[in-house]
This record gives sequence, C-alpha cells and structure tokens, in this order.
Amino acid sequence: MKILIVEDNLLLSEEIGRNLVDNHFKVEQAATLAAAEEKCALYQYDLVILDLGLPDGNGLSLINSLREGEIMPAILILTARNSVEEKVKGLNLGADDYLTKPFHTAELNARIHSLLRRRNFDRKETLEMGPLSVNLPAARAQLGDTPLNLTRKEYDLLLYFMQNPDRVLTKQSIAEYLWGDHIDQADSFDFLYNHIKNLRRKITRAGGGNYIRAMYGMGYRFSI
Amino acid sequence: MKKERSYSLLSKTSAIYLLFTLVAFLAGGLFLWNEGEAFITRNLDHRFTKWEGRTRHHIEEGKPLSELPRFISAIPLATAPDSSLFPIYSDTLIQNAELDEMHRFRKKTILLEAGGRIYKVGILAFVEDFRRLQDDVFEALVPAFVLLALAILVFNLLLSGYFFRPFNRILELMRTYKVGQKTKIEQVATSTSEFQVMQGLFHQMLDRIEHDYRHLKEYTENMAHEIQTPLAIIRTKTENLIADDRVMGHQAENVKVIYDETSHLSRLSKTLNLLTKIENGEFNKVEEIATRPVIERHLRAVDELANLKSLDLNASLSDQHQLVIDPFLLDIILKNLLKNAINYGTPEGPIRIHTDPQSLIISNFGAPSEVPPEKLFERFQGNPTPNNHSLGLGLALVQKICDLNDLRVAYQYQERQHIFSIR
Repeated sequence: MKILIVEDNLLLSEEIGRNLVDNHFKVEQAATLAAAEEKCALYQYDLVILDLGLPDGNGLSLINSLREGEIMPAILILTARNSVEEKVKGLNLGADDYLTKPFHTAELNARIHSLLRRRNFDRKETLEMGPLSVNLPAARAQLGDTPLNLTRKEYDLLLYFMQNPDRVLTKQSIAEYLWGDHIDQADSFDFLYNHIKNLRRKITRAGGGNYIRAMYGMGYRFSI
Repeated sequence: MKKERSYSLLSKTSAIYLLFTLVAFLAGGLFLWNEGEAFITRNLDHRFTKWEGRTRHHIEEGKPLSELPRFISAIPLATAPDSSLFPIYSDTLIQNAELDEMHRFRKKTILLEAGGRIYKVGILAFVEDFRRLQDDVFEALVPAFVLLALAILVFNLLLSGYFFRPFNRILELMRTYKVGQKTKIEQVATSTSEFQVMQGLFHQMLDRIEHDYRHLKEYTENMAHEIQTPLAIIRTKTENLIADDRVMGHQAENVKVIYDETSHLSRLSKTLNLLTKIENGEFNKVEEIATRPVIERHLRAVDELANLKSLDLNASLSDQHQLVIDPFLLDIILKNLLKNAINYGTPEGPIRIHTDPQSLIISNFGAPSEVPPEKLFERFQGNPTPNNHSLGLGLALVQKICDLNDLRVAYQYQERQHIFSIR
C-alpha cells in the first residue's frame, strides 16, 4: 500500500510519514505541487494525502491532473482551510475525504483505513486482532465465536481502537471521532467513560481480557 | 437628546423660497404704495399750487368770491390766525349726488393774502381715481403671489421625481450594498454635479472599504490557517510523548496541560474564524427551510448524550415552522442551543424543544445562571471551571447569526427553566 504525502511543512510531513510507516504503509513525500505532479506521473499511489495551501499553487489542481491518469488514487484532503466551500469543491472534484488541521493522528489513521476499504484497495472484509474479529460490511464484532452485542457507538469505538492498536488515544480524539462537535469537551469525557466501561464489560463477559487500559488519565490504550 | 424633526430638502428649499418671495412681494408692494403716495402728493401739490395762483389772481382782479370754481372756497378773515398752523391737509369723503357714491377728496386749507386781506382758502382735489389705482395694484399683488406660490409647489413636486431620481437610485445602491459582494456597483447616470460628486465619493469609499475588508479578511484567514499547521505539529508531537511511557511516567501532568491547551487554542481559533466569517456575511446561501427535519436530525445526534446525563428530550415540532437562513448557520444555531441545554441541564425536568409557526423554543431546567442575562450572549461570558473547556463563544455565535438573519433570540429564566426563543 503506497501513500503520497503532499505537505509543504516538512515537520508535519515527517510526522505523518512516521505514523504511516508504523502502520506498515510505504510512504513518499512531496513538498510542492510540482514535485507532487511529477511523482504522480511517475508512480502509482493508492492514496494521496493532500494539503491545499502549497507554496506553488492550490492542491486542488493536483486532483484535476490525477483524474487524467488511468487509476485515480484515493484522495484525502488535509488542510487548515476550514471552509465549507473549499470542502464541497474538493469533494466535488473527486477527493474522497476531508480532514482539517490540527487533526488527531488516530483520526487520520481511522480515516485512511475506512477510505482504503471504501475504495476497495483493502479487500479484507474482516479486521482481526487476537481473538477479536470485526466483520466490516456487517458492522459486527465477535470474540472468538461469541458475538459481542455492541451498540453503534461501542462498535465505532472498538473499530477506532483496532485501527490504532498499541497507541494511546486521547479522550479528546475519541470524543471528536464519536460525536464530532455536538458536545463540549468536559461532558463528553463522562460519556466516553461510560462507553468504554460498557465495551470493556462486553468483551470480558465474552471471555476476553482487559484490552482497553486507561493511561495517565488522558486517554486509553488498546492492546492485546 | 431630543430627536429633531426632519424635513426633505425640497420642502425646506420650497418653504424658504416661498418665504423669500413673500418678503419680496411685501417689499415690492410697500415700494409701489410709497411711489403711489409720492406721485399723488406731487400731482396734488402741483394742482393745489396752480389753483392757489388762480384764486389769488381771481381775488386780486376783484371778481366776487362766489364766482370761484365749486371746489374752491375762500372766506375773508377779520383777524389773522396763527399762520404756523397752515397749510392744513385733510382727506374727506364727499357725496356725489348724481352717482350716489362717496368719493375721496383731499382738501388743502391755506391762508391767502390777496388784495390786502387775508382769506382762508380751501381747495378740494379729487383723488378717488388715484386711490382706486393704488388699491388695484395692491389687490393684483396678492393673487400674483398666491399663483406664484402654487406654481412653485407644483413645479417642485413634479421636478423632485425627475431631478431626484438619480439621487434616490444612488441611495438605493447604498442601502443594498454588502461588503465583500464583489459585484460591480452600477454607475448612475446624472448630469447634476452634486450627485456626481456624491456618487464619486461613494465609489471611492466603497473601494477603500472593499480594500480594507479584503485585507482584514486575508489577515484573519491567514492567521486562522497558518496557526493550524504548527498546532497540528504540536499535537502530533504531544501525542508521540503520550505514547511514550518513559516520558509519561514523569511528565504526565505537563504533557496533559500542553495537549489540552493546544486543543483549546485550536478550537478557539477555528470558532473565532467562523464568527468572523459569519460577521462578514460569507454564509449567504439563504433558503426557506422547514425546520422540523433539521431539528429531528440534531435531536438524534444528541439523544445519546442527553440520555447519558439522564435528561429527557421532549420535542413538540410543527411542520409549519420555517426559517429563512443559510442551512449551515441553522445547524450552528441548533447545535449550540442543544449543546448548551445538555451542558447546563439538570434532570429535574426534560429539555423541551418546541416549535410553532412563529417561534422556536429550547428550554432546560437548572439553577439560575451566574452570568447576568443581558451579558449571556456576549463573548467569553461563560464561567470556565478547570474541567470545563467550554469556549464561551456558543451563544455569541447564535446571537450573531440571528442578528444577521433578522431573527430575534431571547433568553428568560422562569420556574427554574432557562428558556431560549428564536422568532
């Protein structure tokens, strides 16, 4: 799985790249529109993570030139411009998703996973980890052979954890993933605690271990 | 301060013009009257002098006094009266028997010394014609003035529509002008130099405003954008630290603070940016929205949150309730009011969401707010406690959106309920 990061800020580009390499992706980086166009002409990528505000032009124009190619990679726009019009424009041009800065690394991972799945690059229909398996099209999870009767939010939560294993996910990142901005931070943490508690209980009741661990009062780590 | 009454420029100029015309007419009338008087006096003096001469002549020739013309009377006096009293002028009315009319005469009484005797001579002069003429002139002035006044009024009324059309058109353009609209403002054709000057200045002003607006907008946007990338780096770096047990073992509290404050800063700049965009009227895809499906969608989104706080959502929605607003802004209003209600709601009673054809009401139970009601909609008036990272911008956003869309948002506290209504 090959990903191109188009981002002019090298620090951020490196940081995203390192995270993706940790997730077993092959990563290349381009800091300018010209470099990105050159790379896209030479190589085939499965996913392009695209910043819009590039020093030599608007990232949106890359989408246009990508559309001329034979196989269009999935495109995830990653930008500081939080405007509805830009978003609509990007998605209309053929981008698959849109994430605004600053983002949570875990959120980026989750988006990439679901995007690649949606685009059918990742043909796996189940996500497995130890005794846990998740049937993605059916949105069902089971532990061994025991189905876990999860609510929609608990399922989302489990998926988010499984897409970011062995990583501390902050409460903020999880809350934003689950509820968007429908809620103020402080309250959401109590709700989150409830969901985590229920998810944990359902897994242990089905015979699993305590996979979700609270870390420093800041977040949770999922590991098997 | 007392509000002064205002009048249209045209009525003012007309009134002043009429006043001046009136003064001019009065002055003219006075002048004519005086001229008439002077003419009559001169004319009569001439006649009186002539008749004095003839009377003296008549007496000196020794003709009997009775042969003097009818309008001259001469009485010989035995003793000479005080000559400083003469001549005496007087106006009299004399009956004309033939015409049965009273006629105006002027009488000059003099002392005449002729043939060694002193006579008291009275001479009558017919002035009726003069006076009639004088009256006629005066009487002609009044209708002339009235006619002129009427003409001015009618003229002004008719011409105001014509002359002031470009002016009103320019005013209309000013009224409907919106900053940042990018549409070219039409040039109103006018040959009136004042209007041309005004229009010129108006266009200059627009250019300046547009220029400033563009700069401010660019600045805000750049500010909001440029700050996000460094924030993204700080956040990912901090998340790296959080993932590192060696660091967190010693510095968990510090890292937590850095992380939380970064998030706060990020949301703050995003929300302020949004507020600026709303103020600049960038969300102008206004449409008529039936609110029921929108509210229901929002209720589904917050249903779970409400349940977790043991709050009931009690909705009574009307299909007739409509708002004319950009759908994105309606989302922000609903999101913030519901967030607010869930945040501060207590399980004493349900959160009520009510719409009827005229209004939208969202209420929740709770202790009275510590923020005075009149300050509730101001920015940063919430009371951020250490574990409450509320931005304090939610209600300010709601207020701003309502202001820009001619909606009235109101707050009241009644029977332990916080009630927000939008009409």
